[in-house]
Amino acid sequence: MKILVCIKQVPDMESRFKANSQGVWFEETDLAFRMNEYDEYAVEQAVQLKEQLGDAPEVTVLSIGPDRVVEAIKKALAMGCDRGVHVQDPAAATRDPWQIASIIASHAGDKGYDLILTGMQSQDRGSAQVGVTVAEELGYACATTLVGFAFSDGTVTAKRELEGGIKGVVRLRTPALVTCQLGLNVPRYPTLPNIMKAKKKEIQTIAVAELLKEEPLATTVSFHPPARKGGGIVLEGDVGVLVDQLLGILKDKTAVLR
Amino acid sequence: MYLELTEEQRLIQETAREFAGAELEPLAARLDREDDREAFLGNLKKLAALGFMGLNVKDAYGGAEAGVVAFSVAMTEIARACAATAVTVSVNNMVCEVIQAVGSEAQKQAYIPRICSGEYAAGSFALTETGAGSDPSGMTTRAVADGDGFVLNGAKIFITSAPYAGVFVVWAVTDPEAPKGKGISCFLVEAGTPGLIIGKQEQKMGQHASATNEVLFDDCRIPGSALMGKLNDGFRIAVAELAGGRIGIGSLGLGVGLAAMDYATRYATERAQFGQRISNFQAIQWKIADSYTELEAARLLLMNAAFRKESGKPFAKEASMAKLYATEAANRACYNGLQMLGGYGYSQDFPVERYARDARITSIYEGTNEIQRVIIAREILRNFA
Repeated sequence: MKILVCIKQVPDMESRFKANSQGVWFEETDLAFRMNEYDEYAVEQAVQLKEQLGDAPEVTVLSIGPDRVVEAIKKALAMGCDRGVHVQDPAAATRDPWQIASIIASHAGDKGYDLILTGMQSQDRGSAQVGVTVAEELGYACATTLVGFAFSDGTVTAKRELEGGIKGVVRLRTPALVTCQLGLNVPRYPTLPNIMKAKKKEIQTIAVAELLKEEPLATTVSFHPPARKGGGIVLEGDVGVLVDQLLGILKDKTAVLR
Repeated sequence: MYLELTEEQRLIQETAREFAGAELEPLAARLDREDDREAFLGNLKKLAALGFMGLNVKDAYGGAEAGVVAFSVAMTEIARACAATAVTVSVNNMVCEVIQAVGSEAQKQAYIPRICSGEYAAGSFALTETGAGSDPSGMTTRAVADGDGFVLNGAKIFITSAPYAGVFVVWAVTDPEAPKGKGISCFLVEAGTPGLIIGKQEQKMGQHASATNEVLFDDCRIPGSALMGKLNDGFRIAVAELAGGRIGIGSLGLGVGLAAMDYATRYATERAQFGQRISNFQAIQWKIADSYTELEAARLLLMNAAFRKESGKPFAKEASMAKLYATEAANRACYNGLQMLGGYGYSQDFPVERYARDARITSIYEGTNEIQRVIIAREILRNFA
């Protein structure tokens, strides 16, 4: 069995973001990067499946981006993936989801992966399009926003998170692609010995030009913080009156008390 | 010249930071105020499972083989969250390293994997005595050869982790007639050995969760195989092999200092007086500038000492410099941080008073900073004589 996990390296979401000089994406200088949270669930699920199947599956982890993304690949290797693929693309941040999906599909097309896992979206761009587009391009069955996963006899049983706390269960025959949501699992910390041993695992580097043949379908034209809102409302006076005023405002202007 | 961490070192730093933030930091304030050894030891076990007890120890003995730089950055991240946990991790690492450096193959196989795996919650160093602190050669604990073993008698104080240590590295006088420092030997004594008595626990100013006890030897009989290294060579082991521990404690100090300044700086950007944030005032800005500058200098000193040790170069002077500077910078950072919080800095509702108490010992233990200055001056003057 062959498994592919697609991961993205994203900035620490507690960073202070500012627009880059073109005003179409964030400035990367001074940002600390880490593995996209949803992709960590995908890595963990792949490693758990490998353990469940007695180490039989080979788990490949793939990431697209500049050299810094090798650190995220190494983390996935330290968590238990077997080999890495680094699609070297210094301009990855400018690609639209269609191009990113096309790169992955172009790599995966002749590899015969039985199962592809990825996060339901990236924490920075948040398009949630890459996973489903890869599945479409490869003709794989696809289920998104997984909060539960089981595998037996070539069938994935996926518990999906729907709106309003409702869950749905779908079954997919492999080959299949699933996207992972918060709650699916608790990603393990890579152990220190495994971090050091991951140095010996193979990471294949592929230039993006070898895989990317598609033009973008969408272009980001602006990246900016929300306009500053006016100052808040300051209530003053007797506490009893204040409480009534506050309740009124919460009822009228917010969904808190509806 | 390349001052960046490797990818592996960064991943270890990230793992330490995430684990410490998720598992250690939420418990640190409670462990400071009340005794919950089970929770404390539980965290040590998790750290062992991740490989933090043998960072610079060979894979064959259960270590991570991650090196000294990784040890330093991991210690700093752990100490940012909980200094009491950090000191235990530092001592455990040094016990492993000393056994790895000096012990017999049988001793290495017997003890290092147990500490690395967490089977032993801790290992302890039993060097200090009431009359032998900065001057350990003045120790009076005796080891007398008896048949094929030794009998230990004497008392040690300030022994970190003693109540839950699985093995003790014990120094004792084996040749009382020898010149000062020449007649001391080093032994590995297992917990539970009859005559090894864990005495009174110190009531300390900080680092409360980490137990610090008296350890007594009352006709404590140990086998000949407990001798570590050569007979009468123990003092050299203490002096030479413990230098690495100074990198650990300096890194710990750096973590506590950073925790204090990060907390205080965030506070200063929120706290308003005279109609504006106090971070607008130069009096506050200078504290921020001074402390972060000193902590950055401390970090670079530590990285240099760690890198030298990792590269097999002499590092005793650099380790002493880093320990001296980092722990004093940490104390100043805690002083500044506490001052920036005003009355709240003195309140137990905020963590900065804990950081200040936890940092205070760092200029005292693992060789007082006065002794570090003696070492540094001796190393420098050697080149001028």
